[in-house]
Amino acid sequence: MNVIIVGAGKVGFTLSEHLSQEDHNVTIIDTNDAALRRASETLDVMCVKGSGASPSTLEEAGVAGADVFIAVSGLDELNMICCLTAKRLGAKYTIARVRSVEYAADLEPLKRGLGIDLVINPENATALEIAQLLRFPTAANLETFYRGAVELIGFRVRPEDFLVGQPLSAQRRRFQELPMLFCAAERENGEVVIPDGAFVPRAGDRLYLIGRSDGLSAFFRLLGRHTPKSRSVMVIGGSRITYYLAGMLEKQGIRVKIIEQDMGRCRHLSEVLPKASVICGDGTDHELLEEENVTAYDAFVALTDRDEDNLIISLYAMQQGIPKVIAKSNRQNYTPIARAAGLDSVLSPKLITAGQILQVVRGMQNSKGSVMNALYKIADGNAEAMEFLVNGTTRHQGVPLRDLQLKRGILIAVLIHQGRVIIPDGSSVITAGDTVILVSRNSRILDLNDIYEESWIERGGAR
Amino acid sequence: MNFKLVLRIAGRTLLVEAIAMVLPLAVCFLYREDPAPFLYTIPLLLAVGGGLSLIRSNDHLFPREGFCAVALTWLLVAAAGALPFYFCGYFNTYIDCFFEAVSGFTTTGASILTAVEPLPKGILFWRSFMHWLGGMGVLVLAIALLPALGSRMLQLVKAESPGPVVSKLVPKARQSSKILYSIYCGMTLVEILVLRLVGMPWYDSVVNSFAIAGTGGFAVRNTSIGAYGSPAIEIACTVFMLLFSINFALYFLVLSGKVRQALRSDELRFFLVVVVGSIVLITVNIWPMYSGADALRHAAFQVSSIISTTGFASTNFDLWPEFSRFLLLLLMFIGACAGSTGGAIKCSRLLLMFRSIRREIRQIIHPREVHVVKLDGHVVDEDTLHSVHIFIAAYILITFLAVLLVSLDNFSFGTNFSAVVSCIGNVGPGLEGVGPMSSYAAYSGFSKLVLSLCMIIGRLEVLPVMVLFSASAWKRS
Repeated sequence: MNVIIVGAGKVGFTLSEHLSQEDHNVTIIDTNDAALRRASETLDVMCVKGSGASPSTLEEAGVAGADVFIAVSGLDELNMICCLTAKRLGAKYTIARVRSVEYAADLEPLKRGLGIDLVINPENATALEIAQLLRFPTAANLETFYRGAVELIGFRVRPEDFLVGQPLSAQRRRFQELPMLFCAAERENGEVVIPDGAFVPRAGDRLYLIGRSDGLSAFFRLLGRHTPKSRSVMVIGGSRITYYLAGMLEKQGIRVKIIEQDMGRCRHLSEVLPKASVICGDGTDHELLEEENVTAYDAFVALTDRDEDNLIISLYAMQQGIPKVIAKSNRQNYTPIARAAGLDSVLSPKLITAGQILQVVRGMQNSKGSVMNALYKIADGNAEAMEFLVNGTTRHQGVPLRDLQLKRGILIAVLIHQGRVIIPDGSSVITAGDTVILVSRNSRILDLNDIYEESWIERGGAR
Repeated sequence: MNFKLVLRIAGRTLLVEAIAMVLPLAVCFLYREDPAPFLYTIPLLLAVGGGLSLIRSNDHLFPREGFCAVALTWLLVAAAGALPFYFCGYFNTYIDCFFEAVSGFTTTGASILTAVEPLPKGILFWRSFMHWLGGMGVLVLAIALLPALGSRMLQLVKAESPGPVVSKLVPKARQSSKILYSIYCGMTLVEILVLRLVGMPWYDSVVNSFAIAGTGGFAVRNTSIGAYGSPAIEIACTVFMLLFSINFALYFLVLSGKVRQALRSDELRFFLVVVVGSIVLITVNIWPMYSGADALRHAAFQVSSIISTTGFASTNFDLWPEFSRFLLLLLMFIGACAGSTGGAIKCSRLLLMFRSIRREIRQIIHPREVHVVKLDGHVVDEDTLHSVHIFIAAYILITFLAVLLVSLDNFSFGTNFSAVVSCIGNVGPGLEGVGPMSSYAAYSGFSKLVLSLCMIIGRLEVLPVMVLFSASAWKRS
């Protein structure tokens, strides 16, 4: 597909990287020479210099033939104007990043008026993700499927866990009855496997579980690592993410304390977040944290503008024994270092935004076949979890799974049949109307039919 | 440096070369000649190339690896391309074969053969087919044909493509090189048909088309294109030599319906002004030597042949007056447009150079004036200008250094200077001792190696080869 991206900043660059790897024709528009040069030197994309709102620049970039137009420059207003112009010039689907709280409040009329098909708010999305993690503190990361009925969580295996050193099949009795499944595992050396019965977990592995949330809770209780959801949270840094996050947590009745350096910002936060307690001070100062009794909190979230600060104070908070610590870091190269030090939940708004947009692009690519409802990249992007709705185009319906030839590295993790969540076994069948959740190490799955290992003739010679 | 990856890329390119040799092999069978030279070479290349391309490596391709891979690949490919010449027995030493092969792949067309007609047709076909392969770049071909080497392979294309800025036609590098190759193939096919129509035999029209398409200049007759004695053939060649020296991106614009934009190209206009101006001046200069329109025809043929860096001759231009000879020597420096198959400094670089000089003069008159250099209405950033200046300076310095080395053979200054200028500009013939009706056979082995290196330096636009010879590129850190 032809994709135009306005803005070669953090998100624009990451998006172009992923989209060009997925074989889309990507054109980047930016006014900054240095950013364009970096993109053209490292990525297989075309670069056009100019403003994304100027019709002549857009035409040079081939807007009339663009399937997706994504405006992720630094300015909300510019992004909206870009989408408006692009839509008028023939772009099929427009996506704008809008982060201002003021615009976010009442988006629908704005979207309709400006011809924007999708508005992405990275701060809000990040806050949502953090709020989910706080509900399930044992998880290093958590994704939801089927309107929240199915959850996928990742956790790190500890040396004392009973899973260590034995094949999964030997443990089966203990959790056979639970509505959950091991769907992926990431070794410490970065190798990703789809586990079967012979898989032997080792300490330090990151395991991914999928299933009903009660099943997951039961499993962690069995493991002796169940932690109830956080009741009080300390947040360092009063950014937009903090604003959205505090709003969500307040609604759930969770106590929030925010530490922010800038007085003006503090006053604003205390105005809009009446229930939160806002402290004006340096969140990286240990004395201040001790003074504010950091150890009394269930969770600690570091959201300052500096990635380095976030990681360091998170490590400090872990050392103080706070059960759940989450840090924001856009620099991907820090994540493995943080993980080696035991900090599992590192979120990157950049990646979250890119993931959302990728999901939309994937969904559009496959307009005829089964509908993709959700897509998450797990295990550092080495595997994907996808939710599909089965419809008439899906082949091999009604065939028991044990008789199906699936491609390597693909697991049918969950079936949802008539609203019931089923962990499939060899006798389960796929029927139209079901929802299927897959885990795959192959990133070229666009349609449910892509999972079958079939000859060209079986596919009917088509496609 | 990531040696393994560099070797793997070189190995893949050797595989492509081995496949390309199947065509001259077929020609050998067609004319019932001895296929041995190719039958020895192809399995050898398949074995070496296959072995190298099996090397396991990571995909860390940074500019350093890109430049080294390109320079090393060209040396290897030329060394391998020389093998059929070596096995066929018409050449004296391997150095002669290497010189001929480098001359082929770099589209120079300088030959050490005094007479080409006795050679087998298969060998002559391979000689010109090298031009065709080298014109667009062997690595670009390897990238277009073989599975991707990762997204960073752009570094390779950049190091191999001629011109100061590499513009992409479409977002995907692979797609871009496919489009360029389609235009190249299409134009070559048209040319073969046209040459056949104006009376050239089939074999000659195919081989000469390869030589013209790559702007090479290896002929199959001792007296080059003049041997056919046909004005129609000379005019057809003139037109195609000019067509192949225009930036191929402009053809893409024309094909996608943007004719106006293509015609507005500054470089194209500069190129046409230089061509027309030179033709007029030389016609006037040589008017007394020929009868009427012949002067114009020969002037046009020679100017297009030299500025496109093809190096064909319709007549012995070394006998022309001093003014015309020197003008042709200057054209050897200028060369074709960027993004074409031609060589030398390239029109766009000279144009940018002239504009920078004009800016510098204005700066002296109005010290506070802010002035940007533009090309095709777009501002050219200072880094590009800087690299253009460095390129031209390095090009001229290397020329003089090479003249010094070649002078050891004690030929006249005119011979040595024109030989080096012609080789580094990938033209082919020079003046005096290396004139269009002579050859490079008289030079010593050392001079032939120096000239071969000049050809590769000229074809790869100086810097990649320099990187290969700089010690810091080879350090692991």
